[in-house]
Amino acid sequence: MKILLIEDESSLRESIITYFTDEGNICETAADYKSAIEKVNIYNYDCILLDLTLPGGDGMEILRAIKKINKKDGVLIISARHSLDDKLDGLNLGADDYLVKPFHLSELKARVTAIVRRKSYNGSNIITFNEIHIDTQAMSVKIGDNVLILTRKEYDLLVYFIANHNKVTTKSAIAEHLWGDEIDLSDHFDFIYTHIKNLRKKLVEAGCKDYIKSMYGVGYKFENV
Amino acid sequence: MKLSAKYNRVTLIASIIVFVFTGVIYYSVIHYILTDQLDRDLEIEEDEIVAYVQANGKLPQAGSFKEQKVSYHLIDPERDFERRYFYNDYFNESAQKIEPGRSLISTVKVSGKLYSVTVTKSRVESEDLVRIIVLITLSVTILLLITLLLINRFILNNIWKPFYGILLQMKAFNLADKNDIRIESTKIDEFAELNTAVATMSLRVKQDYRELKSFTDNASHEMMTPLAVINSKLDTLIQTETFSDSQGELIEDIYVAVGKLSRLNQTLLMLAKIENNLIADQETIPLDNLIRQKTRQFQELLQLHNINLRTDLAHKQINMNKHLADMLINNLLSNAIRHNYKDGQIFIQLNDSQLIVSNTSLDTALIADKVFERFYKNTASEGMGLGLAISNQICNLYHFKLNYAYQNSQHIFTVSFLEGELQSYSKFGV
Repeated sequence: MKILLIEDESSLRESIITYFTDEGNICETAADYKSAIEKVNIYNYDCILLDLTLPGGDGMEILRAIKKINKKDGVLIISARHSLDDKLDGLNLGADDYLVKPFHLSELKARVTAIVRRKSYNGSNIITFNEIHIDTQAMSVKIGDNVLILTRKEYDLLVYFIANHNKVTTKSAIAEHLWGDEIDLSDHFDFIYTHIKNLRKKLVEAGCKDYIKSMYGVGYKFENV
Repeated sequence: MKLSAKYNRVTLIASIIVFVFTGVIYYSVIHYILTDQLDRDLEIEEDEIVAYVQANGKLPQAGSFKEQKVSYHLIDPERDFERRYFYNDYFNESAQKIEPGRSLISTVKVSGKLYSVTVTKSRVESEDLVRIIVLITLSVTILLLITLLLINRFILNNIWKPFYGILLQMKAFNLADKNDIRIESTKIDEFAELNTAVATMSLRVKQDYRELKSFTDNASHEMMTPLAVINSKLDTLIQTETFSDSQGELIEDIYVAVGKLSRLNQTLLMLAKIENNLIADQETIPLDNLIRQKTRQFQELLQLHNINLRTDLAHKQINMNKHLADMLINNLLSNAIRHNYKDGQIFIQLNDSQLIVSNTSLDTALIADKVFERFYKNTASEGMGLGLAISNQICNLYHFKLNYAYQNSQHIFTVSFLEGELQSYSKFGV
């Protein structure tokens, strides 16, 4: 997929690009309002990651510009502004999602993947990872031809892992993804383990390879073996 | 009590006291002067009698003259006799009635014999004079009091009009509003000064408010960006290679700390926002539904500790910001879970006037005065000590009352809505 990252903080830009640039993803960047407007006007992207506070202008204006020229690019706002007004304004203006800084790169990747999947031209709702087939419309999972019954949390976890395959995802990122950041789970990471254990067991029993690898202390990795 | 009523009362009481006091003094002075005059007349009469006795060697004829009566009595010369004035009755023969009188009793020696001489004069004229003077004074006093009352009622109300005008505007003053306070012109210096002071103050407050608002936004941005960088660098770091177990633990600790720091930052900013009333958009929230939804979210945490949650929820609509309502329930519920023990109990009760969350805990009673202070927490607690502070702020914002009690080894938090609802009614009353 082709992504434009509009972000003025260079070290954050680097990290996001490093995380996204592999397996054929193309990642372009813009560090200020002017260059962002130029790129948005000339090129098409699958997803635009938009920071709201930029040198030279308000990120919201870029969003307005994108919608004005009727672009179909997905837009994900990444902002430190936690104010609800901004969130609502952004979504009302046609942004696809809103992520508040600081965030986990794995969360960003999962959300971008979801936006791109929704926006993709062929309208495909199928995620395929080797023998795993997920129909996101019906929320059903098949391993080869075997239907796999998963709980809501296990399903979310699997989609999340596949979006971040070959990456190490931390326990806190998983916890935030599954339970939201409203609930402070930092003392209870252990019960993520239960869900992962169950998912892993179900996958293997349905004839799936064991992709989930535990990285001690750090988190988990869904690795293509 | 209204200022005018208070002022009226004070002036009225003061003037009545002054009038009564001066009236009494006035009366006694006039009375004294008139009596003195009478006494002098009596003395002149006495002198005339003495002169007559000296010239003729006998007493003048006793009897009544015009408004004056003279009588003589033979008295014992051995007896001590005092010359004195006294009040007496006077029989008016022409009018055939008894009038108040004044007498002088004195002695006179006529050819070796001692006579007492009593001269009596009618007081009726001086009494009449006193009565007329008192009447006039009284009517003037009453007239004055009535005028005073009327002045107070009409003029004072008129004079205070600009004050009530500015008061009304101050009551309606809202920081988030765009309109400033309008100054009504007044000729009274004090009110003109008040008007300008209020106008300047409101401008300054609004300015501060805007600065604060932009400060909260900027502070949030400035602090969140470095945190976002740390987080993303950590995410990148863990992709690079495999770590040893101890390195993994170190990284996890950093993650936890960064997570706490960003939550802390967000919470502090939220607290500042609530305190400065920067949170507007309210909506009607079915609180019972919200609580059910939250208990579902916390289901796994409850199961993990095998905590038994009982609820008794009546339907209750509440006017609040959705995000804050979420936060309030979240805080109360997560506290009840965090400070609970394995196989413990939580009871949530909601009725029209109250939300009560009670939980079992190993902790003993908290200090009720301090429990809602920022960063107050049990030493064993892993929380930030901000959850209850923020809950309290949210309750304050909507004029709810958040109370803590410790009963039957249960920690009980009660949110009382009634006060807030009454308050919001009274807002519309003037």
